[in-house]
Amino acid sequence: MFDILIKTLRTGRVTSKYPIRQDIAPEGFRGKPELLPDKCTFCGECARVCPPGVIWLTKEKGEEKLTLSFCGCIFCGMCEEVCPGGAIRLSQEYELASKTKDDLLTIIRRSV
Amino acid sequence: MTVDDEMEIMGQRLNRKIRALFGRSLSIREVDAGSCNACEVEVNALANPVYDMERFGIHIVASPRHADMLLVTGPVTRNMELALLKTANATPEPKLVVAMGSCACNGGIFGETYASGGGVDRFMPVDVYIPGCPPRPQAVIFGLMVAVDKLEQKIKKSEVKV
Repeated sequence: MFDILIKTLRTGRVTSKYPIRQDIAPEGFRGKPELLPDKCTFCGECARVCPPGVIWLTKEKGEEKLTLSFCGCIFCGMCEEVCPGGAIRLSQEYELASKTKDDLLTIIRRSV
Repeated sequence: MTVDDEMEIMGQRLNRKIRALFGRSLSIREVDAGSCNACEVEVNALANPVYDMERFGIHIVASPRHADMLLVTGPVTRNMELALLKTANATPEPKLVVAMGSCACNGGIFGETYASGGGVDRFMPVDVYIPGCPPRPQAVIFGLMVAVDKLEQKIKKSEVKV
């Protein structure tokens, strides 16, 4: 019993100081995907490979649009893996909660 | 001021805000609407000493009739659809509905099939979306803080209407 007590006293406080101190996610954590519009070639490979299908490539008159919704994204990182130009990068950001679904969209455009 | 003092003040502030809004602690009813259990594990982790959400005055209760907030996980499968609607009807107003995890937000990896509803917002209005598969416990705490803000807005709006 004393062993447990000594262990407990030695451990001290373990509660994370989260809302005050920013808790940085560990190395290799897959968080919010970021699109880099300079590198994107609009090939549509990410849209093809995305398991839940939350990346769309749409072509309107004179404009190509790549939309990524985190709402439904499973953060698997397949888009990052498959992208030939390295235009998608999964950042370490995880505070994604929002009040509307529109806030969860990232859109990049290119005129053709 | 040490970090511990800062944290205590922050916790007290959030606690006071919740108390001013509800008159008591914020009670959450966690509804599993066909989730794969990963989100439930993260909600469990919220109650452990490391993340300890009870320091902010947020509790998980066993009945929707005691709850102020529904924390819904899972894509709302056909078998859980009625149970979810019954739970929502049993929750007293003003209530908050928080969709936790990518499945609850949009169907996620399960998508929309004959057996899967494809998101909570097809069945009831959702106040806060917490994406992540599963979201980290810190992300859930952040989402709950956003939800408390939203409730403040809601109460102010209803006061203006009256």
